[in-house]
Amino acid sequence: MKPFVRQASAALVAVSLGMIGNTAVAEDLLFWSKQGKPVEEAQAMRDQVLSGFGSAVDFQPNDGGPWLTRLQAELKAGSGKIGVLGALHGDYTSMPDDLVDLSDIDLGDVQMNAKFMELGKLGTSEQKYIPWMQATYVMAANKKALEHLPEGADIDALTYDQLIEWSKTMAEKTGSPKFGFPAGPKGLKHRFFQGYMYPSYTNSMVSKFRSAEAETAWNKFKELWSYTNPGSTGYSAMQEQLLTEEVWVVFDHTARLANAFNERPDDFIAFPAPAGPTGRGFMPVVVGVAIPKTAPDMDAAKKLVAYMANPATQIETLKALSFFPVVDAELPSDMPASVQLSGSAISKMAGSADANPGLLPVGLGKLGGQFNQVYVDTFERVVLGGEDVRKVLDEQAGALRAVMEEAGAPCWAPDPASEGPCPVE
Amino acid sequence: MSTASTSVIGQSRVAKWAVTASVVFLCLWVLVPIYLLVANTFSSPAEVNGFPKRFWPSFDTESIEFFLNFHGVGSALWNSLLVASLTMILSISVGAPAGYALSRFEFRGKGTFRVLVLMTRAFPLPLLALPMAVMFIKVGLDDTVLGLAIVHTTLALPFAVLITYSLFSGIPVELEEAAWTLGCSRFQAFIKVIFPLVLPGIAASAIFAFVVSWNEVFAAAVLTIEHRTLPAFLLQSLDDAPLHLKFAGGAVLVIPALVFIFMVRKYLFAMWGIANR
Repeated sequence: MKPFVRQASAALVAVSLGMIGNTAVAEDLLFWSKQGKPVEEAQAMRDQVLSGFGSAVDFQPNDGGPWLTRLQAELKAGSGKIGVLGALHGDYTSMPDDLVDLSDIDLGDVQMNAKFMELGKLGTSEQKYIPWMQATYVMAANKKALEHLPEGADIDALTYDQLIEWSKTMAEKTGSPKFGFPAGPKGLKHRFFQGYMYPSYTNSMVSKFRSAEAETAWNKFKELWSYTNPGSTGYSAMQEQLLTEEVWVVFDHTARLANAFNERPDDFIAFPAPAGPTGRGFMPVVVGVAIPKTAPDMDAAKKLVAYMANPATQIETLKALSFFPVVDAELPSDMPASVQLSGSAISKMAGSADANPGLLPVGLGKLGGQFNQVYVDTFERVVLGGEDVRKVLDEQAGALRAVMEEAGAPCWAPDPASEGPCPVE
Repeated sequence: MSTASTSVIGQSRVAKWAVTASVVFLCLWVLVPIYLLVANTFSSPAEVNGFPKRFWPSFDTESIEFFLNFHGVGSALWNSLLVASLTMILSISVGAPAGYALSRFEFRGKGTFRVLVLMTRAFPLPLLALPMAVMFIKVGLDDTVLGLAIVHTTLALPFAVLITYSLFSGIPVELEEAAWTLGCSRFQAFIKVIFPLVLPGIAASAIFAFVVSWNEVFAAAVLTIEHRTLPAFLLQSLDDAPLHLKFAGGAVLVIPALVFIFMVRKYLFAMWGIANR
């Protein structure tokens, strides 16, 4: 035993000492991303999207915590390794001063979505990020669910009442609830309330938060919840439950449904979100690329940002991450099933006569998390806790008002423009 | 346990049965998850999602091949081994003297010191990571194997100190005194008499340090870029990955640690032997 220990420790010391001095590795341009985390997406980003850039890019996707902590540390230390950032619009809103102005990047003749470019200024006069890709949330269903559709219902133009009836029929006919909702800790439930339920019932996201219409909406959702799989409080990406057939009908982000569509394209369909009394609410999601002030090689970073906006790169990105282009790009016909299915559902949703898009929160700065929390808390108290809807809405409206006033954020669509902070009536 | 049986023979039979049952239960407790992990790793994606399951997987290697070809897994595994080994060495070379001092000497602030050692575990890493990363970038320790090993040593140190403290306390001071009377210096007495006695225990606490380092994700994700450890490299990516890749990735993460523990298991048992004495 003794000689073994001695040999082993000697070997370890030698190896470790050898490594300490050995830190000089050729530095690749570091792409610090919050998107593309799943292993096969990260692989596709490296192999298919970034391999065409010319020089080596080190694509590193991260969870929100390490992503932000590392970035903050570099900014505080005044020097760093991160070259290019990839994150949601909402991630950048708290840090406009830490991002360099990208106005001088020449995008050539690329036709970028103007509304998204405006969002990328983060309310300043400089271009803080360049839009990279977009996505939204849609509904998906197992084809087995279709036979239980309420009579006369059009899958591409459902209403919330029909969705409830459908879920009820499925629960009664099959013996277990077949509607699934991403209400787990990592699920994107707040976006459903902000961008889908509220615009569909109140034509508002903020100002009519405690209105009588909102009360109706929450009561409707409670009704839907009674036919929802109770496992939903643990769901995050609904593709998993679709594939295991734990549930048949779901709502989720397109990127979180992609695996189900790609693995069994013939078994699932995608369709638009339902409509309520004030239209078919839906929320586009924008992801942008930005450069932190501490980027080690500014020129290379700017080149990469421009490369990401290239139509050919955008199509490769779509294949890799299931996020849609933000520039005018001709989609080839050989796209993965997830792109074809979600893509057609999105265009039906956005193109429907009663479409009512609710934009991502603008101007909340670092209060974005608290803003989401208001909706999550309301959901937990009303739906999970079974508290009185009126009382909860009145109390949560106070929290929402405090957030809006502290941020001083004016209203965004579908709320009508306001002078000063968006009022919570 | 049953108290209903009246005869002594009946009681001992029940006790025997209970012991066997708990042994079987504990074995299953450990083995079933490992079986599921391995079986699903070697199943095709459709089988992973499907139900009912087959007992023997189809030995489909698609998922595991994905990881073997996944860019950077090899170097991340190597980094993990380096960081964990360095953590082992650092935490023992700092922790064992501290444990010895605690068990053999009386000094002012001894109680406070023991509490302080534990305090390093009182603050969650996400809280410490930001100031630590800023400091590391400034002093040049950022993104080095050594830097991360220092952080992991801090995490493993309380265990190293407390385990070695109880090891040294378990060895009668008279043995050392005898060595001194026979002409040994304090240091010689330690090396020739005490050290061989505590070696298995020290090895065990080193293994513990290894495991602490192997499992740590947050600091590794924030403090390293090019020298990522395997958990930092894979764990975050597995979170949203499809089920069959979660299983395969889980196996990639678990198997090296299992192999390591298996190799050094006799030292672990040695530690338990000493603790029982």
